[in-house]
Amino acid sequence: MMLDEQQLQKLLRLKRFEQPPPGYFDRALNEFHRRQREELLRRSAIQIWFERFASGVWSFRVPTYAYGAAFAAFVAAATIIGSGAWAPFTQTVETASELPGVASTPGVREVAGNKLALSGNLDWSKFYHSPASPRVVPTLRPSRTALPRYVLDGRPVSYEASFSF
Amino acid sequence: MDDQNLPDDETLVRQTQDGDTRAFDLLWQKYSPRIYALIYNMTANHDDANDLLLEIFAKAYRSINGFRGKSSFYTWIHAIAVNMTINFVKKRGRRFQMSLDDLDANVQNDKEFIDLTAPNTPIREVDLAELQQRLNEAMMKLSVEHRAVVTMFDIQGMPHAEIAKILGIPEATVRSRLFYAHRQLQNYLEEFRKK
Repeated sequence: MMLDEQQLQKLLRLKRFEQPPPGYFDRALNEFHRRQREELLRRSAIQIWFERFASGVWSFRVPTYAYGAAFAAFVAAATIIGSGAWAPFTQTVETASELPGVASTPGVREVAGNKLALSGNLDWSKFYHSPASPRVVPTLRPSRTALPRYVLDGRPVSYEASFSF
Repeated sequence: MDDQNLPDDETLVRQTQDGDTRAFDLLWQKYSPRIYALIYNMTANHDDANDLLLEIFAKAYRSINGFRGKSSFYTWIHAIAVNMTINFVKKRGRRFQMSLDDLDANVQNDKEFIDLTAPNTPIREVDLAELQQRLNEAMMKLSVEHRAVVTMFDIQGMPHAEIAKILGIPEATVRSRLFYAHRQLQNYLEEFRKK
């Protein structure tokens, strides 16, 4: 027959009689104070501040209403941008005269709104050399990747390496 | 100051958060014996329990500004104590020696002790030192998680719900850990039975 549940619990409760020496907790409190003072002297103010900040962040809980507010803000922003009422990243050329090399050119005329039609005698060299206008007229160069990799007898064979010999 | 005359925990925590270190001393006075007993019964070593007690209260003092009162201070500091002790015991591994506190002489007059060692019980007569040694050896054979539950429930008399809150586990898990730990302890303490 084993110890029954009740006898076991009575035995375990006897462990309450294991006590530290008398006066232990007062001495331990003095030791706690001593360590606290030592720690304050050892650590810099930045370390203490960081520890308190980290402890505050760790215990921070996002309030429930913040999720609703964030969703509402997202819906409002999506509605405004989606309806076209506000377009934050659109750049338009207001007048043709702002472009270098165009102002004095008779070949430029405004057709409708922001669209420009270029015709005739533009001085293209001004577009290529001006650092302020790289997007207006993109420079087209042959791409290296467009070149065939294998050329036999002056004729391109393949754009991809072949491993089936 | 007697523990019953101390201000409530909420007031003491608020005063500590406002920088009153004496308020934290009162929290120490109120909780250090319970926390010490918890650690001691999980480590079976007075020196380890002493070091951990100081570390636990130092951590509580550093973190008290983050305490928002969603749980009681009692639950909060017990949770810190259990987690730090479990980590300590896991790091310590098997390399330790028991260093037990003295048994209070009043145990001889304790009704439960007298009942347990009475002639008509199945428990054989043992001397106190042997009883203490065997009990602690049996406890140390349990995993530290099971030991924590046995300490809080059987030795400290906490209800299941409080233990579940402290450990952050469901009450059903607390019950199953207790069941398993009791079975193990019954086997380990078999030798106490009268032959």
